[in-house]
Amino acid sequence: MSLVSQLMATSSPSGLDAKRRFSLGGVAIWVVLALLIIAPVMSFLILAVSPRAFQQGSQWFTLRFVSEAFRGYTGRGIADSLWVSTLVSVLAVGLATTLAWLIHRTNVLGRRVWSIAMWILLIMPSWMMTLGWTDLLQPFGAAHALGINTRWIYGEFFGPFGIIIVLTTVALPFAYFIVSAGLQGLGPEYEDAARIHGASRTRMLRTVLPIIAPALLSAIAISFAETMSDFGVAFTLGYHSHFPLATYTLFSAISTYPANFSVAAVIAVVLILSTIPLIALQSKVMRSRSYAVLSGRTRSVRRREFRRGPRIAATLGVSLFFFIVLGVPILGALVGSFVENLGIYSARGVHFTLTYYQQVLSPSIGGKSLGAPLIESNQLGLVVASCTGVLAVVLARRLVASSGGWSQRVTDVFLLGSVAVPGVVLGVGYIFFYNLSFITHNVINIYKTLPLLMLALVASSLPGQTRFMAGPVSQIQPSLNEAARVHGAGRLRAWQTTNLPLMSRILLWGWLLTFTKTISELAIAQILYPPSQEPASVTIQAYLANLQPGTGTAMTVLTLLEMLGVIVVAMFLYRLLTPRGWRRVGWSGVQS
Amino acid sequence: MNFSTQTKGALRSRITAVTLVITVASLSLLNVTAGAAANPGFVLYSAQGYDKATVTAFNATHPGFTVTLNDNSTGPLLQQIQAEGNNPKWGALWVDGATAFAELDLKGMLVKHSVPKVSFNTLGKANIPADGSFTPTGLTVTGALCYDSSQISASQLPNTWEQLAEPQYQGLGMNDPSQSGPTFPLIAGVMNYLGKFKSGSPAKAVAVGKSYFTSLYQNGLTVNATNGPTIGAMEGQQIKMAIIQSSACYAAEINGSFPSMRVKYLDSSIALPGVIGIDAKQPAIVRADAQKFVDWLMTPKGQHAMQTGDPTGDSLYWPVLNGIAPANKVIPALSTTHAITIDPYVWGPLETSINSWFDANIANG
Amino acid sequence: MSLKSRERAVGVSLQHLHKDFADKVALEDVNLEIEPGTFLVLLGPSGSGKTTLLRCLAGIERPTSGEITIGGTVVASARAFVPPERRGLAMVFQDYALWPHLSVRKNVAYPLRTSSRAKSQRDERVDDLLERVGIAHLAERFPNQLSGGEQQRVALARALAADAGLILFDEPLSNLDADRRDQLRVEIATLTRATGATVVYITHDQSEAFALADRVGVLNQGRLVQIDTPEAIYRSPANAFVARFTGVAGEFPVTVVDECGPAHYEVALPFAPDERIEALALERFEPGDSMSLFVRAAGVSLAVTGSAKGTHGTILDVAFTSRGYEHVVSVGEGATLSKVFAPTRFDRGSRVQVCFDASSCFVMDPTKGK
Repeated sequence: MSLVSQLMATSSPSGLDAKRRFSLGGVAIWVVLALLIIAPVMSFLILAVSPRAFQQGSQWFTLRFVSEAFRGYTGRGIADSLWVSTLVSVLAVGLATTLAWLIHRTNVLGRRVWSIAMWILLIMPSWMMTLGWTDLLQPFGAAHALGINTRWIYGEFFGPFGIIIVLTTVALPFAYFIVSAGLQGLGPEYEDAARIHGASRTRMLRTVLPIIAPALLSAIAISFAETMSDFGVAFTLGYHSHFPLATYTLFSAISTYPANFSVAAVIAVVLILSTIPLIALQSKVMRSRSYAVLSGRTRSVRRREFRRGPRIAATLGVSLFFFIVLGVPILGALVGSFVENLGIYSARGVHFTLTYYQQVLSPSIGGKSLGAPLIESNQLGLVVASCTGVLAVVLARRLVASSGGWSQRVTDVFLLGSVAVPGVVLGVGYIFFYNLSFITHNVINIYKTLPLLMLALVASSLPGQTRFMAGPVSQIQPSLNEAARVHGAGRLRAWQTTNLPLMSRILLWGWLLTFTKTISELAIAQILYPPSQEPASVTIQAYLANLQPGTGTAMTVLTLLEMLGVIVVAMFLYRLLTPRGWRRVGWSGVQS
Repeated sequence: MNFSTQTKGALRSRITAVTLVITVASLSLLNVTAGAAANPGFVLYSAQGYDKATVTAFNATHPGFTVTLNDNSTGPLLQQIQAEGNNPKWGALWVDGATAFAELDLKGMLVKHSVPKVSFNTLGKANIPADGSFTPTGLTVTGALCYDSSQISASQLPNTWEQLAEPQYQGLGMNDPSQSGPTFPLIAGVMNYLGKFKSGSPAKAVAVGKSYFTSLYQNGLTVNATNGPTIGAMEGQQIKMAIIQSSACYAAEINGSFPSMRVKYLDSSIALPGVIGIDAKQPAIVRADAQKFVDWLMTPKGQHAMQTGDPTGDSLYWPVLNGIAPANKVIPALSTTHAITIDPYVWGPLETSINSWFDANIANG
Repeated sequence: MSLKSRERAVGVSLQHLHKDFADKVALEDVNLEIEPGTFLVLLGPSGSGKTTLLRCLAGIERPTSGEITIGGTVVASARAFVPPERRGLAMVFQDYALWPHLSVRKNVAYPLRTSSRAKSQRDERVDDLLERVGIAHLAERFPNQLSGGEQQRVALARALAADAGLILFDEPLSNLDADRRDQLRVEIATLTRATGATVVYITHDQSEAFALADRVGVLNQGRLVQIDTPEAIYRSPANAFVARFTGVAGEFPVTVVDECGPAHYEVALPFAPDERIEALALERFEPGDSMSLFVRAAGVSLAVTGSAKGTHGTILDVAFTSRGYEHVVSVGEGATLSKVFAPTRFDRGSRVQVCFDASSCFVMDPTKGK
């Protein structure tokens, strides 16, 4: 049996491969995960108690750094991150559920536009969001350029209030897509049954919500983990507001020289462990239920038809929401790229200019061009997205297989915990592990090469994308695959002709998500890029940090446009390449 | 339906083929670059804005050599070096500020007596360590008082550090030492100066410095991450003046992004050398190559490459060699800066504790 | 075509088949021989193991031990395991298992993809099948545009397309409405028999089983309790469980009085100790034994009081059916008989004479077969 087909084990409880519990495929997966994620991350985390392990101190074992990390402003950072992440995940899921319901289950106008907007929100990195907000709101920022006085909100924004708002918008799209997928399986009959038995609207919601409880819990878990590990917001807003977040204190700890990797490791361990209670809760809820609801029998969902008034109101509400959350930062960034010396008080008033774009297209001496880095970032994105896509499918199937028990739980904890690992930890861990003489001389020598950066980027996207796909994968009725097998299809062909078409859209969006995330990823890129092969995100950051925010913002806008362009091309190719039937099976992506 | 399926099928396979080719091409491209890095030889870790120009010039005039440039910000470079531990990949390090080098030297990681035998000026000589383990290549000054001349005029500025702490001088900003490389030397220099440190234990000077910065904090000091945000804060009129690195101020003035930016020097400022040091753990041939590069940097050709490589940024430094003038007329004579040199071997080891204190009490207090 | 298919029909043999799951035993020492061309129905309540058995046959489940032979080839044993795609089967699933991204035509054509026939031949066959199953007008639709009955028809067509020697049915009618059910049942019966293939069909519905089967196998808690023709099972259930599951009008405790013929016993009802009922028995009893009497609905007739010999009873309920009336009769405390047919109506509350036909009454140990 080929390795590939072994990896594609079916998800029936003790199905075709019951006997081969310790199959070669299973071992291969864990070896890959070990090399990609476990070994590098553990190399970093072990420093929490054993600094000498990687020549970062004299002791083989000490708890000194653990106590140090929990005191002072690193301690504050941990506490702040915990409560902020909890609050943000609840807010994000609440908002996401409302939006998902409005967009998928009612006749609100412009559904397609909102779905696209949500995707844009998903692909925008958090540092782009805060860049936009800052450009907009700072005194003599874009708002001023457009004639709006924002001084009153500026102070509020650079504080816990603003941080929570921006973090919520960053977590929102993750929650939205998970909840949307969950709503897919909620047929109108549940609502009907509740209503017929006399339930008021709120009671009906309370009856029906438990059915999508797993989706809600999954969304909360992911939002929590993503928020805990967010760096962009922590670095920009957190800093200004004297409201340290754990990721920022972690970064500070390793930014001095000599870096305090040990304290950083303790903080990283806390970030990872903080996701465990959520997983435990989620497992408990999901344990003996079947959520296999997607099959040929699934009927298109019925929409709630608002009358004219409420319909307009709902549409306006959603529009306003997206305007604030997406339009505003984009506007801020756009204006920042077109207005001369944004943020400088000028008696002559506001000047619109193209100089920043000119500087991007023909950089001055000593300046950097965006061309080569952007091409490199795209190539990286292509390869990373493809590798991650394949691995994520394999992992998602294993995660979903209800053969369950401890091995599934371990995988789940591992995947969510990995989402909580900040990029910089992964990056430095890669140096520790892949620069070990043992590894470079006996296994593989890729330190300081592009393949290493590639692996690290795959490692950083894999856990998130796996969980992203696990929901839809779990909704595929096992009998579809069984029917194919019984009617003559081998394992691989059965998967290709039954599961793959049902997953095709989710595969596409997962690919695009990883692609864009790879291009905009900063922390890992900055620490692992090989000599003379600087990716776009690093170039942009250099400009933003070095007194040339106008050019940096222009580069940001161009990069964002380019990513959107790739998405459009990819969707076009998808339409061209896939049979019509594949597109009938909608996951909540763009098609509602 | 059959017909359209066929045509669509043909189109489909064509496009699949094209996509496959592109993917394969990208993959092979990446593979090629992987191979190329197998034996990088001498790799220069540098944060200097003119490093690309200088390396290009060096490689062009030295056929048979290839200096591989690992350009990055100081922070990630130092993280890489520290994480590489006993299996270092760096051939030489070239950043602003000598305190990191003192640390490296104390760990025995630098090649001693690597300073080229050329004619250094006074401040140049003052920044060469006794064991010659690192070489100053140029000088900037930190603790320059940059101010927005449209918000505050020169007559309204203090003249000394002590005056700066007085209540009438509000609206001051500075950078965070844990984010901004040149800021720790600034803090150390202020401690050094105000505590009148000469030799022995710096404890008293540290205490004096801490109470000084605390009083600045109580007077409304704003701390931002690095030069960029600090100058941004000045542009946004959140602060009127800032104590930062001189080259940042001149750059903002020259590149047109902040035309009303001006610089004043208080009773002292702190010399911040651009420093290069060679990794002692590299094989002999790499060390030899590195030495050649360092030697070349301190020649007129090398200095010319440095001064023209980043004309609106790092090239705005004071040369440490006799007979070479600064690159731009806007840079005043060095004597007007009252620059003092601090001993990196004394202050280097204190960096972690002072930075932590600063972060906890001043930056995030 | 039928000639070829009769050649294709395969025999199936299960030997000492055993299947464990983590928390329970699903199949315990099942032995079964199926002649080629037989329509076998496996009947049993949920949890009886019939689904597991079917899945083992299909190759979707691996038995823990035992051997399965299909058409002379060992497909599952300690040493060998033939995957489903090489067993030459077809299957109709309870949830239809139609692929939502394929049209009806493509769903039906799926098993033919690997066949060596030319495309035009394949298309012809698909058209033929669609016609035969009555869904030709739905050929270009997609599954989610069809009703349940239509979807199951497509599943049936797909299974027939495979031209397999063994067709498996996993409770195909349980998700359909009653009237569709009957229609489709007839189609399944006729179409599969036309191909001559061997059929293994599982259901929990006794009337469905008896209507379809050439042979019925009754499963309980993983064991094959009885396998025989429907008539034989109806007339001679092997134990109390089989009797109950295959349709009793009533069951009540009795005391054995005496043997009154080969395999016939007289029993006394507890609430009417003087009355005697004759019943069949599969085992020997002693006078005085406390057993249960199982009465088939066909073995009960009603008469006006005093007109015939029999037990007294009271009518509890009466329901009109197209051919007569079905009554629920009480013959004593806690002893009711349901589905008792009479061509004329006896009103609720009226007293009647209840006559038992010995050949449809069984005295058995009620604890056996549990």
